[in-house]
Amino acid sequence: MNRLWRMAVQALRSLWAERGYAALMMIGLVIGISSVTVIYEMGEGVRSQVVSMMSSMGFGADAFFVASGNRRAGFRRGGAARVLTDKDLSEISRLVNVDLVVPQLSISRDRVSAGARHTITGISGVDIHYAASRRWDIAQGRFLVEADNRDKRRVAVLGASTAQELFPEGSPLGRPIRIGTSPFLVVGVLAAKGFAPSGHDRDDRVLVPLSTAQRRLSKEDKFTAARVNLVDTGQVSETVEEVREILRANHRLGPEVPDDFTIVTPDSILQMVTRQSQAMVAMLTFIATVSLFVSGIVIMNIMLVAVSERAHEIGVRRAVGATRRDVMAQILMESLLVALLGGLCGLGLGMLLSRGIGAGLGLPVAFSLPGFGLSFLFSAGVGLIFGVFPARRAANLEPVECLR
Amino acid sequence: MIQLRGITKIYATGKVTTPALLGVDLDMARGDFAAIMGPSGSGKSTVMHIMGLLDRPTDGSYLLEGQEVTGLSDDGLAALRNQRMGFVFQSFHLLPTATALKNVLLPFVYSPRYPADAEERGRRALTAVGLEHRLHHRPGELSGGECQRVAVARALVTDPEVIFADEPTGNLDRRSTYEVMAILQRLNRDEGKTVVLVTHDNHVGEMCRRVVRLVYGRIESDTVAPQPLDAIALLAALPPREEDRR
Repeated sequence: MNRLWRMAVQALRSLWAERGYAALMMIGLVIGISSVTVIYEMGEGVRSQVVSMMSSMGFGADAFFVASGNRRAGFRRGGAARVLTDKDLSEISRLVNVDLVVPQLSISRDRVSAGARHTITGISGVDIHYAASRRWDIAQGRFLVEADNRDKRRVAVLGASTAQELFPEGSPLGRPIRIGTSPFLVVGVLAAKGFAPSGHDRDDRVLVPLSTAQRRLSKEDKFTAARVNLVDTGQVSETVEEVREILRANHRLGPEVPDDFTIVTPDSILQMVTRQSQAMVAMLTFIATVSLFVSGIVIMNIMLVAVSERAHEIGVRRAVGATRRDVMAQILMESLLVALLGGLCGLGLGMLLSRGIGAGLGLPVAFSLPGFGLSFLFSAGVGLIFGVFPARRAANLEPVECLR
Repeated sequence: MIQLRGITKIYATGKVTTPALLGVDLDMARGDFAAIMGPSGSGKSTVMHIMGLLDRPTDGSYLLEGQEVTGLSDDGLAALRNQRMGFVFQSFHLLPTATALKNVLLPFVYSPRYPADAEERGRRALTAVGLEHRLHHRPGELSGGECQRVAVARALVTDPEVIFADEPTGNLDRRSTYEVMAILQRLNRDEGKTVVLVTHDNHVGEMCRRVVRLVYGRIESDTVAPQPLDAIALLAALPPREEDRR
C-alpha cells in the first residue's frame, strides 16, 4: 500500500512535469466523460420525474394497472364487453401473487350542478383505498369510508377545482349537488395537486363510492380499471401474463384477436419514456464512445513518445534496482492517473453542463450514481488498456540501451 | 569479489554480428580502485555494464562473491544492483523534476522495504559529497560538478560494496573532475568501497591504483600504480576560483 502510494505520488509528479502532454491526454476524456455524465444526469432526472409522477398516481413498483379498452387495437373503453367484470377481478384477486385488487369505475364526463352553477367533469367510482394509494390529501371534510360503499350512499368528494367552480363562496361540505340527475351530498374536498405535465387539471374531478356509481350512474356491475397490488414485486411479468390469460378467457378472445384491455406496469411507462429519449442518448453515447476511443489512442501515443523521451530515466531506475514490473507499473500508473484526472474533470464539466442545460430547458437533472460509476470505470479502463502497450514497451527496454 | 572468466559479448543486429568482448578474464578484489581504459570500441563500457549486471554476457562465467550470476533472472539482477551496487554515469542521469535529496533516495524506492530513516541517510550521503546546502535544489539549479556529486550520493546511499562509474568525469571541467575523484578516492580509502570506473582520460587513470587496458575486446594490460595521484592535492594546487578570489 505504501509502495503503491509512493508510486502514485511519483506518477503525479511526472505528470505535473509534463503538464502539456497531460492536458492533451485529458482533453478527449474530458469530452467523453462529460457527455456520458450529461446523458446520465438528464436521463436520471427524467426518470426520477416519471417515478415521482407515477408514485403520485399510486403507482409504485408493487402494483400494476389493468384498464379496459385497448386504444392501440381500436377498442374503446366501456363498449359492450370492453369492461372488467366482478368475475374478472375476483379471479385476479385469487392469483397467488396478488395481494389486493382495487377496482375503479370511470364514468364518461358528465354535468355536475349545485344550485344554479354547473360544470362538466369526470366522475369516478372509487374504493376507500383510492385516496391513500394515489397520495391524495383531504383538504376539508373526509374521504369515502367503508360504510359509504357498503350502503351505496350518495356522497361525493370534490376535487379542489371542481369545488371552487361549484361553490366559489363558503364551504361545500354538507351541500347537495347533482351528478346528471342523481342527487349527492358533498362530504369532502381533496387538497389541490395542480396540473399534470400533460396539461390536464388533476383537481377537476368528482369521486363517489364505487357501489353507488355502479347502481346510480353506470347502472352496470362493471369496472373500467383496477389496480393490482402484488405480493412479490420480483414476479411482475409472470403475474401480468396470468392476468392476461384470465381476461382473454373471460372475454372469449380468439387467438388472433388482440387484447380488449390494457395492462400498464411501472416498467412499461418507464420504457416509453426511455424510448423517447433513446435517439438523443444513442447520439451522445456515440460521441462519448468515439471520444473515449480517440482519447485512448491519444494517451497511448503520447505515452509512447514520453517513454522514448524518458528512456534515460527508465534506464536509471532499472540501474538502481527497478524491475521490469516496476517500470511497467509506473507507466501504467501514470496513464491510469491521467485518465482518472481527465475523467474527474469531465465529470465536473458534465455536471455543470447538464445543470446548465436543465436550467435552460426546464428539464430536471439528478445526480446519477451509475453514471458516476460508469465514468470512473470508463476512464480507468481507457487509462489501463491504452497504457498497456507503452508500459510494455518501457518494461522491455534494456537498461544498457537506455543509458547510452 | 568479482570474477569474470571467458566473458564474451557479441552484439547481433540483423545479419551483422559485432564482437565487443572476446574472452575477458578479470578479477576485482574488495577495496580495488580500478580504471578500465582503452580506445573507443575496445569494449571497456561493455565490461563495466556486465560487471554492473546492466548487461548479460553472450558467454562466460561471472561469480559475484562466489555466486554465479549469469543465470539469474532480470528481477534477481535488479535486486543485486539495488542492494550491492551503485552507479554513476557520464551524463549524471538525474531526474530533472526531483530535488537532489529525492534523486538520492531513488534506490530506496526499489528496495524490498523503504527504510524508515531513508531521508536521514539521503542527507548523510549528500553531506558526504559536500552538498548538504543543496538538498532541495533541482538538477537544473546545480552545476555539472554538483550534479555528478548528487549522482555519487545516489550511488552510495544504499551503502553498496561496489561503485561503478561510466566516464564519471567525461562531462566535467578540471576542478569538478578533481572534486568527484577526491570523493571516490575517499570512499575507497576510508570506507573500503570497491570503485570501478571507465575513462578514456589518462589523467583520471593516474588517480586510480589499478588500470586495466582493453584493446579490441581483449585485456591488453593490467597494471598497478604504487603511488596514484591524490585528487585532493591536485585540487589544492589549482589556482583559486574567480568567486573564491573575490
